[in-house]
Amino acid sequence: MALFAFLRRREWPTVLGYALFVTLLAAGYYYNVTFVQLGLLDLGTRLVGMSEAQVSAWMAALALLTLAVAVLTGMTMDRRGWSKNLLVKFRLLFGVVALQFLLTLVAPAVRTVPAFGAWILLGSVALGVGIPVTFGMTIDFVAVADRGYVAAAITALAYFAANVYPLEWRVEAFSAVMVAAMLPGLVALGVVASGRVGPANRLVARLADQHERRAFGVGRFCRPARVPTRSFAFWGPVVLMFGVFFVDSLGFLRIVETPTFVQSAWQSPDFGDHLFLGAVHVLGALVGGVLYTNFDRNWLFLWVFGLFSLTHLFYTTDVRMAAWLPGLARGASSPLNSAVYAVAVSFYTTLNFALWPDLSTPETVGTHTAIGVGLAGWLATFLSTAVALYFETAEVTLLSHLNVVNALALALFTALVASLYLRRLLAAARSGGGGR
Amino acid sequence: MADPVEVLPLLVVAVLLMTASGQQVEQMEVVFDGDREVASVSDALVVGGGTVTVPADESVSGTVYVVGGDFRVAGEVDGDVTQLAGNVSVGDGGAISGELRTIAGDAAVADGATVGARSTVEFVQRERSTAEAVGFLALQALVLALAGGALARRRPALLENVADSVVHHSVVSGVVGAFTGATALALFVFMAFTLILIPVSFFGLAVGLFTLAYAYVVYGYLVGRALPIDRPDLASAVGSAVVVVAADLLGRVPLVGTAVQGLLVVTGLGAVLVTYYGFREFEPALADLEE
Repeated sequence: MALFAFLRRREWPTVLGYALFVTLLAAGYYYNVTFVQLGLLDLGTRLVGMSEAQVSAWMAALALLTLAVAVLTGMTMDRRGWSKNLLVKFRLLFGVVALQFLLTLVAPAVRTVPAFGAWILLGSVALGVGIPVTFGMTIDFVAVADRGYVAAAITALAYFAANVYPLEWRVEAFSAVMVAAMLPGLVALGVVASGRVGPANRLVARLADQHERRAFGVGRFCRPARVPTRSFAFWGPVVLMFGVFFVDSLGFLRIVETPTFVQSAWQSPDFGDHLFLGAVHVLGALVGGVLYTNFDRNWLFLWVFGLFSLTHLFYTTDVRMAAWLPGLARGASSPLNSAVYAVAVSFYTTLNFALWPDLSTPETVGTHTAIGVGLAGWLATFLSTAVALYFETAEVTLLSHLNVVNALALALFTALVASLYLRRLLAAARSGGGGR
Repeated sequence: MADPVEVLPLLVVAVLLMTASGQQVEQMEVVFDGDREVASVSDALVVGGGTVTVPADESVSGTVYVVGGDFRVAGEVDGDVTQLAGNVSVGDGGAISGELRTIAGDAAVADGATVGARSTVEFVQRERSTAEAVGFLALQALVLALAGGALARRRPALLENVADSVVHHSVVSGVVGAFTGATALALFVFMAFTLILIPVSFFGLAVGLFTLAYAYVVYGYLVGRALPIDRPDLASAVGSAVVVVAADLLGRVPLVGTAVQGLLVVTGLGAVLVTYYGFREFEPALADLEE
């Protein structure tokens, strides 16, 4: 790890940058997977009184708006040179966190549909600006060689906390914890972003030029040749990651609505189950970090689709068994299902954190991370929500729903295997192999 | 209620027995819970849990498999009864015209009951004698020593590539070995439950064992290099034999020994996999990115 070299050379600002980045991203992701994904559903259904379908539609709108704002912000950052200006990024981030703090504080008081809509609009702006800003900070803080491990640390921290901290899936509980946790962070960010406090200023100044160092700025996949925005090298991973998010969200949306599945995992009353899931998430992230650092990205996608195929094979087997042999079906599903799911999720989240900055240079990091995270992550979520809603309206059974997800994962897995083989075949043919 | 973890494998065995005897699996009736009295059986009845009774005044035709719960015969069963687990009791006046085969579980036949034939399959679990254990270990050592010696003589590069990954890329080898090993094992075990994929499952497990043996040979090659033997093939053969014996001794040490053994196994497995069974040298993707 490059971090060990920085430690040996006593480059403390750089080391501090690593810690700051992991904290910022882990906190942001924790906020996203708990408050935005779960808290809003509770807010909409219980406090505002909307149906689940209506809330899902609003959340799809949130995803779409977030994508638009993220791409607009990312492109603006690159065009105006903000992507290379750490102080500007800190100021934008302060604005994002301040807005999110206010939104989190007032969330439990939202009672009407227009208020909920306004909340969604402002939430989208905060998230949309936050994506390219936080992901864009990777070039300032994390050496390219360490991005897999740092992404693993962020994923592990966020998911461990989300699983182990015994939060009720109620917006009041989420809000109280988030407000308390965000306040010190907001103050610290305010100090750094103000540019008026000496030590904080010196730290920012020391870190601000790091993207010009060989080890930091230019991402792994941009060496030796940079990856242009209009290239297959960039859009290939976007499509693949879109597939990953789509498969994950489509399956998870149905799984969280199935009491047999969630009550033995994410909503289990037994703390041991939560601890187990948290530990499995950490393990999955670490595995993801090591593999990201040592293998080509196509192999990583192959592993992700393979893991999702395995996950849904487990879930569908459970459902089939219950349908065929009802006497065997008990109240809870196998803990193996949620464990394999947790490994798959941690694995691809690690990949998602490291991939987009590694497909970028300081000149393109805003646009690339915005398109990558916004399009592959948020748009996929929006579309899978829409498809899940359609399935619900069409009264598609649980088994059929999960079968579709499994088939998608298997199809993507097979397509990737085929394309990898085809690529090598074409390369061999071009090199003239096989001639006499 | 029946426990799926206990009942499912026995249910699979019952289905296999049914298939072997030419019965139609689709016709089978499975009972998992509650108290039931049966008056007829279409082809085969599987008792997986609860209590199933053939009443005193009834005669049922068909084959019965007991994999859990209680099966009580007060009337007549015109067919065979195979007991894989659970309890079977044939009361006074009760009758089984075919064979009552007890593979496991408790069977109680009253003095006044009639059973066509009765057999009990005895599974005697006994400790291997020292001579047998040593003999088996010696056989393993001999086979791997021969493999190690032959590979070191004919294709030393295969062993060298894997050994290089074990020594210089132990973390990634360990992670790949543990990750692939765990997921592949789960997948192959799950495949066995589909019945159709049982051959694929066995094939996968056989490949796993072959890979494990390969990893042991590579450790033997590494140990052989440290031995004061000039001939590389002989050193590798001796090293492989030493590794087999050392791994066996290590496995006998509780906790720490088992953990170290597990660590060595997953690292070896991973090293074999990342080098494509030694055909390619492993190069980390980020090898040249250090500042």
